[in-house]
Amino acid sequence: MEEYKVLQPFKYFNDHISVNVRPDGRKFDQQRSIKLNANSVNTADASSLIKCGKTSVVCGISLELATPKAEEPDNGFLVTNVELLPLCSSKFKPGPPSDYAQVVNNTVNDILKNSKCIDLKDLCIVSDKLAWVLYCDIACLEYDGSIIDACLATLMTSLKTLSLPHVIYDIETEEIKVDVNIRHPLKVTGLPVATSFVIYQSPDSNVALMDPTSFEEEMCGGNGANLVVCWNQGLLCGIHKFGGATLGTDGHKKLLNVAKERSKTIEEVINTCIANETSE
Amino acid sequence: MPLDYRRFNGPEDSVSYKQFSTNFTRSYDELFKGLFDENGKRIDGREFTEARPLYTKTNVISQAKGSAYVELKNTKVVCSVFDPREIVGHQNEYSIYGQIYCEVKFAPFSCPRRRRGLAPDTDERALSANFKTAIQTAIQSTKFRNFQMDVFVYILEHDGACLAAAINAACLALTDAVVPMMDIFSARTAAVINNQIFVDPTEAEENLALMPTDNETNHGIITLTVIDHLRNITDLQQIGSIDADCLIKVIDILLEECAKLMPLFKDLIIDNVFEQYKEHQVYLSIKKQVNEELSNKVKEWTLIVKDK
Amino acid sequence: MAGMLLSNAERFYIWDGVEENFRSDGRSNKDYRPMELETDVVSSASGSARLRLANTDVLVCVKTEIDTPKSDKPGLGSIEFFVDCSANATPEFEGRGGEQLANRISNLLQRAYHSSQAFNLKQLCIFEGKQCWKLYVDILILECGGNLCDAVSLAVKAALFNTRIPFVKAALMDGGNIDLQLSDDPFDSKRLEVGTAPLLVTLCRMDEENIVDPTAEEETCIAVSIVVGVSGNPALYTSSEDTTPSDHKCTTISMSGNGGILPDAMKIVIAEGITAAKCLDEALGRTLLQERNRTNLQKKDSYGFLK
Repeated sequence: MEEYKVLQPFKYFNDHISVNVRPDGRKFDQQRSIKLNANSVNTADASSLIKCGKTSVVCGISLELATPKAEEPDNGFLVTNVELLPLCSSKFKPGPPSDYAQVVNNTVNDILKNSKCIDLKDLCIVSDKLAWVLYCDIACLEYDGSIIDACLATLMTSLKTLSLPHVIYDIETEEIKVDVNIRHPLKVTGLPVATSFVIYQSPDSNVALMDPTSFEEEMCGGNGANLVVCWNQGLLCGIHKFGGATLGTDGHKKLLNVAKERSKTIEEVINTCIANETSE
Repeated sequence: MPLDYRRFNGPEDSVSYKQFSTNFTRSYDELFKGLFDENGKRIDGREFTEARPLYTKTNVISQAKGSAYVELKNTKVVCSVFDPREIVGHQNEYSIYGQIYCEVKFAPFSCPRRRRGLAPDTDERALSANFKTAIQTAIQSTKFRNFQMDVFVYILEHDGACLAAAINAACLALTDAVVPMMDIFSARTAAVINNQIFVDPTEAEENLALMPTDNETNHGIITLTVIDHLRNITDLQQIGSIDADCLIKVIDILLEECAKLMPLFKDLIIDNVFEQYKEHQVYLSIKKQVNEELSNKVKEWTLIVKDK
Repeated sequence: MAGMLLSNAERFYIWDGVEENFRSDGRSNKDYRPMELETDVVSSASGSARLRLANTDVLVCVKTEIDTPKSDKPGLGSIEFFVDCSANATPEFEGRGGEQLANRISNLLQRAYHSSQAFNLKQLCIFEGKQCWKLYVDILILECGGNLCDAVSLAVKAALFNTRIPFVKAALMDGGNIDLQLSDDPFDSKRLEVGTAPLLVTLCRMDEENIVDPTAEEETCIAVSIVVGVSGNPALYTSSEDTTPSDHKCTTISMSGNGGILPDAMKIVIAEGITAAKCLDEALGRTLLQERNRTNLQKKDSYGFLK
């Protein structure tokens, strides 16, 4: 069976899809099991780790202080970076980020910025003098498809568990004092959740598969051809599709609903995780 | 720092908020007192010669040939090993020894004092070079001539003894990847502060061991890597300023600690072998079932064809 | 290291010689090859030295710059090492070929000089928290004849001994900014205290014997080599009588090579490394003091690169 998968991957995949099942036994709109964990890294100001099937992503948030930009004196900074480490898969080689890594980085950044879940004005301490810089560093430890879903979920969990220390700024002496014992939770409005689909161009009709594994992504046009749908608490906030196979408008409508249902499940998972964390 | 155009950069003048907190600027003596609790033991309750318990799990990264995760209380390290591939870079002649490419990276959020950048800096490159010398002795590089094997380490949280944790993770990852090795190896770290030896130091202890002081006492950090059977030291790294007697004492203590880790590794490796054997048996039985069904189907169809 | 092709017969010849304590050039296992040292060869640098250890040729220049100290170490300056393997030494160093070797040597030096007992960075402070001296030590490897680490560490110590730091004549405090005025006279400067600066000793292990100062051929035959960095004795570097001699301590130890070493053998190696470093330190101190006394009295004959 393993030999069949290696020697004839397309036929192997097609044989599964034609009887309405996926190689790992799931249905087309079934997602993998999710394990989410928060606040495990003590050195980060907030952290979380997600394991979605065989995709593992860790996010850590570091806080720093800086002077706001001259043209935006009331805004803090939110810097998100996604690292596809060479550790996670043989697809990624050591060195500067590849094109695909930069695309993933930009997509996650766009989703975060456009959802406006963090108001940069909340990050400003003293206008034009001092503001918080939120460095959100997301590292992929295991790569098995649906990377954008996992990155966003872990990022939102970390943001929701983040609290900012209290800062006292003396305007005359320009002295900064930070009290780490008093903390204000960061205000996060909304919860964008991304769902990835791949569209398989079978001879009969095109079929959409939710939460694809790396093998399914390869079979359906490669890394970048995923359809990513973002819902933010009942509001559609984004669709990304870069090339690959197409699906009719009816198919798309169905997918949007599937993604909506999934976003509710993911929200529940994140909220349960945070509730467990705070109750401990 | 020069701008990295492939990643998002924060403002250039950003500094960690921790340097403005009240307990940041403490003198050496205050910090030294802060390492002990009321009974004179270390602040986490350990004896001076007691190492932290090691938690480890192999096969954590499904995409890698072999991988391991090691936790030394708070220090968290992941290591993965990939199959040999062609040597990257200018290669002019056939290399009779297989090459090993090592990369050790700190996560940006792993260090408690400041955020580390995303691109590898000089510290990380030096650490990667030290890590490579520690692991290359035990690997039989003649078994993959003219090829390069990759070993990657990612440090998720730095609470002291990172190099030792990385080396231990590498040993288990290499056995998980079925890389031909001469023997297993283990590593331990010790710090010397003010003539006092601390085995398996935490980040606070390591920081104090390397802090510039006015006194002339011994201070420094030593990491020792030992292979199991021959009890040979394959790597010794020391930094700081330690006299010969103290150094010899530390080497003896670390040898014992490394020896204590070996039975743990061996048990884990043997358990893994049994697990994989059981899985293989299950796989073989399923395969046998499938083949039987297939042959039955073939017999049915030949009969149908014959009837026609 | 530089590609040396040796036949098995040549290797056995070297191994057997080491066993007999009679190496292929007639030295015993503990002898160094003759060295030549000259300081102040590059006039545009704050300090420089050139060392020839038989076939190994190393040039070190020290440049001083004013910099702001780090926020967590406000009273200390800093020192940075950069090693450049010139393609003159061997064609393998062309382009980025010598990068690995260069990184290894600069890491070793950075570690060896890390402790304040090895090199006190307090002497580089000008204004605590605001201004300090930063030393850039640039090492150029002109020829590779074996035993690079030792040669480099000796040359670095000599160059630092030769370094002149200009005196600060005046300082204008303008709000938080400081404007420094340095004296123009090149001789109105202070010298650095480098007596405790460490020296690296490479000990190579062949069978049961330890050898110091390997030649390039011997380096290809060794299984494992250990570099021991040992701090110096400041009493040897001043003509005054009132400096307290200090113990020789290990500031760095690093191993390289594909072999292992038994713990008892390691202890012997460390002891031998410290002994070798003591001898080197004495010889270097004597030479540097001699040279300084001579140049103070008369204009020195400089050989530069002519010899």
